[in-house]
Amino acid sequence: MTAQSTTPLVHASDEVSTGRLFVRTCAAEWTRLWTARSSRWFLAAATLVITGLGTALGFESAADPVEIQGGPAWQTAKSLAMPAQFAFLAFALTAVTSDFATGGIVPTLQWTPRRAVLFSARTTVAVGAATGLGVLLALAAALLAFTTAGSALVLPLAEGPAMVATVGLVFSAGAALAVGLGFLLRNAAAALVTLFLLMLVLPLLLGGLGYEWLADSFPGSGAFFLLMEETPQGDMTDASAAITMLVWAAGALLLGGLRLVREDANR
Amino acid sequence: MIEVRGLTKRYGDVLAVDDLSFDVEPGKVTGFLGPNGAGKSTTMRVMLGLDRPSSGTAVVHGRLFSTLSEPLREVGALLDPGSVHPGRTGRNHLRVAARTNGIPTARVDEVIEQVGLADAARRRIKGYSLGMRQRLGIAAALLGDPGVLLFDEPINGLDLDGVLWLRGLLRRLADDGRTVLVSSHLMSEMQQIADRLVVIGRGRLIADATVDEILRGLGHLHVRVRSPEADSLLTQLQEKGLNVQRVDAQELHVEDSTAEQVGRLAHTLRIPLHHLSEVEQSLEQAYIELTSSSVEFHGHPAPVPAATEAAR
Repeated sequence: MTAQSTTPLVHASDEVSTGRLFVRTCAAEWTRLWTARSSRWFLAAATLVITGLGTALGFESAADPVEIQGGPAWQTAKSLAMPAQFAFLAFALTAVTSDFATGGIVPTLQWTPRRAVLFSARTTVAVGAATGLGVLLALAAALLAFTTAGSALVLPLAEGPAMVATVGLVFSAGAALAVGLGFLLRNAAAALVTLFLLMLVLPLLLGGLGYEWLADSFPGSGAFFLLMEETPQGDMTDASAAITMLVWAAGALLLGGLRLVREDANR
Repeated sequence: MIEVRGLTKRYGDVLAVDDLSFDVEPGKVTGFLGPNGAGKSTTMRVMLGLDRPSSGTAVVHGRLFSTLSEPLREVGALLDPGSVHPGRTGRNHLRVAARTNGIPTARVDEVIEQVGLADAARRRIKGYSLGMRQRLGIAAALLGDPGVLLFDEPINGLDLDGVLWLRGLLRRLADDGRTVLVSSHLMSEMQQIADRLVVIGRGRLIADATVDEILRGLGHLHVRVRSPEADSLLTQLQEKGLNVQRVDAQELHVEDSTAEQVGRLAHTLRIPLHHLSEVEQSLEQAYIELTSSSVEFHGHPAPVPAATEAAR
């Protein structure tokens, strides 16, 4: 250990394939996500909202079976995903912005200097976790509502995949938008405000002011239509709602990714 | 081996690093010195791919850091020890690092033990002192057993035991043949640790030499002498053409001379001496002389309150 030497130690490893590097970085991002307390808080909040309200709505249906006689529990779960999505959006967003807020991006980029790999892995893990958990909780909410509603709600298995696809699409597009905004703005407060404006405030406000066509161009309108099967205003279809959400998500990810790849780490 | 060539980094109107070129060689501890705002941290950030250079390059073993697949196995670095998620435990922080580079978790526990954080590793980082955060950062730097190590102000916050430990660690790493670059403001520490110094000011290279070369190059060996007949000795020394400064009634500092020369003259003149010594140039003095024109931020003495003046 103490022998004098002027020979440089080169510990260069065998070149690792980009695919393997991506898998490793995803594993690190998974550990990073679940070793931060805020992630668990957001998940707890989402669980409370979606399963708690699912149970409560089931009991309510049981108590007043005339009103919602024979309605599908899947719709109950979808409508509960509407408020619960905000916990998952915040979950995905803070998975990105916490690193900028704490300065943790400095060691992160020392460990994964290939920024495109870091961007892909962080996006995959945050969006994947938000979508997967969101769908699981929606399924749990549907089951709880069906169980507690007695005969007031039905659970047609054939309609289950459609609910999973819709909730999955809304949660994945919303989480991708949140991640993109996180990378783009690098600030939790600014990104959260922007996210709420796009998903909630502007669609409602513009629709209320009579600008339905403009309100329908925001991702919040798309999410509302897909989950509630209606819009407060304007005309949307499943396809236009999905496209609106996906275009916003792709745009945010593109801009956020470009900022991460091109600019200084945390200036 | 780190090679910096023509490196320039500009933040808007601020020129942080200006056409900087130097090498950091293996088997040595290279001290990286400069006043506040000289561009040391910026240079290290560019080396690590955190900031994009405006022009020029900084490469490690001929490669840009940002192209490395397993950087922890090649370059370990401690920059800002506060740049960590405070809610994560020290061990989990290192687990994330290990996973990115395919390093087994057993190695995490090894480096935790090595840096003396075993008792605190499962506590949240927000409860760590600055010294503990420094140790955690050093643990992360050592995780992949790299051949190149960069430390930005690693002594900050360490207690005496920590300083001694770090001094030994840096020496061992260099003796292993690794490339070690350490920035610090503590000149006395650098004098003990560094084999070579790279001194920068206002983003430009001021000196790139061994510690001995820098001390010798500045010269100015001076002699401290005390005598009850200091006035007479002062006159005689000045007549010999020497530059002498009076320190107090009995003490003189003789520039560019030797104890032998001053002692012989005093003996010839039968002037009694109470003290005679050669004062070694310290790195601190050398540093001040080197960078005096490159200090960007100057402090000013606090104004003396009027009441104090009146009391005089």
